[in-house]
Amino acid sequence: MEEFSVVYRECYPRVLAYAASHAGSRLAEDITSETFTIAWRKSGQMPSNALPWLLGIARNLVRAAHRQTTTYELTDFPADDDFAVIELRAALSSLSEADQEVLTLIAWHGLAAAEAAQVLGCTTATFFVRLHRARRRLQAALWTPKFDSARESWKTS
Amino acid sequence: MEDLMKDLAQARPPVPEVDRDRMERDLARIVTLPQERPVRKQLVRRFAPLLVIGAVIVLAVVLLPAPPQSVQPAAPPKWWHELTRQTSLMIVGDPADPYAVYLDSKTDRWLAANQQVTVVQKDGDVTPFSLQRGGNEWEAAGKPETVPQVGGNHLVRIGPMKPAVQKTAVSGFQMSLHSQARLDSLESLPAEPQELRKALETIVGNDAYRIGSLAMELISSNVRDDQRRAAFELIKTLDGARFLGELTVLSERRGIGVAMAAPPTFQFTDVETQLVINPETGLPIIKRDVITTPQHGLAAKTAISQVEYLLLEQVAIEPIVPQDVPVNGEVESPIIER
Repeated sequence: MEEFSVVYRECYPRVLAYAASHAGSRLAEDITSETFTIAWRKSGQMPSNALPWLLGIARNLVRAAHRQTTTYELTDFPADDDFAVIELRAALSSLSEADQEVLTLIAWHGLAAAEAAQVLGCTTATFFVRLHRARRRLQAALWTPKFDSARESWKTS
Repeated sequence: MEDLMKDLAQARPPVPEVDRDRMERDLARIVTLPQERPVRKQLVRRFAPLLVIGAVIVLAVVLLPAPPQSVQPAAPPKWWHELTRQTSLMIVGDPADPYAVYLDSKTDRWLAANQQVTVVQKDGDVTPFSLQRGGNEWEAAGKPETVPQVGGNHLVRIGPMKPAVQKTAVSGFQMSLHSQARLDSLESLPAEPQELRKALETIVGNDAYRIGSLAMELISSNVRDDQRRAAFELIKTLDGARFLGELTVLSERRGIGVAMAAPPTFQFTDVETQLVINPETGLPIIKRDVITTPQHGLAAKTAISQVEYLLLEQVAIEPIVPQDVPVNGEVESPIIER
């Protein structure tokens, strides 16, 4: 139980952040609570690096929540974001859910590729291919109006 | 691309504040709930009689004299499969007011000792872009379908590329689509850097850049791990090469890199070729040509051409090629005669 409590306190904020970004802040706490309830029941299967496993559970719960409701809660973004950020979020939201998930697991939730692959239930190699495609589509979504911003992204450092 | 992921990280929605009271309340509740029994114990209890019967059968089979049988070893993987993405920049338009195009495509390549199947220009596209913030030279020129190279004798076709399939049956291992270097056997290549250098010199001569380029191609080929590591160590020892140490490329892939000065292209001078490999597997992650000084409005360190290694693997399946593309038909290159 002590081990579970350590994992719980360590991973709770990141599971909550994941749930909030995919299901909105209203449902986030409930999904996080349910994630850890399931994790406790199955704690015999909990790997030493628990976060990807926990996010995999949270992901299933988010999908179940989406199936039960036709209206998704909109994530509340701060009003003082600059235009580039707003533009990037708009480009991101124009992509498929699968592409958004691949990109945000890395960029927003700070997972390594192998961990993100574990969340999605695919191999790391497959994840890299999916990430590459998603990045390309995001780049294309941004490119359409702004070629010069794309140019900046080709710098190697 | 790397900056794109950094920008995306900046666009992360605000992280909700953790309600510590609720968190601890939930924890206190959760740990009072029953846990699933370990599946193994339940299964063992339920299926114990069957296990005993099974064990008796297995024992009987093992103890019976087995008829002599020839054992067929598993068929070895037949093909070395490489999936790569190539991107490059080219300066085009009026030399007095140039802009650029971005060429982006994938190459799927299957190699065996005496066969090669290659799909080129997969998902290929040529996109124009301005070298100046806010510029739109291509649109201002009426969005021409083809644009002239600056400093070259060809035109570049804007828009999607048509994929092409090439099949050849030749003996030996051709190192790349564009290389004349061919090896009879990869297996016999030395795994010691200086011995490997001598072997490569017999193919490309005593030219540091050509030896380095061939060693880089070896690293992405179906060679043993020790040969691959020897090739990387060899590049580090070449004249003008420098070890880049640990670095992160393509946003999240960590590797170790080496760079060597490259010959100028028809549009760019001060170029260096960089190779980044995965230090654990020795397999390449990325190879790119980078300008080391600002040129044509592009900043120093901009990659003017790049190969990303998306897949490198041995496969036992036959090559997968697009069905609607004629094999060994004409390749409609985006670079065409004026």
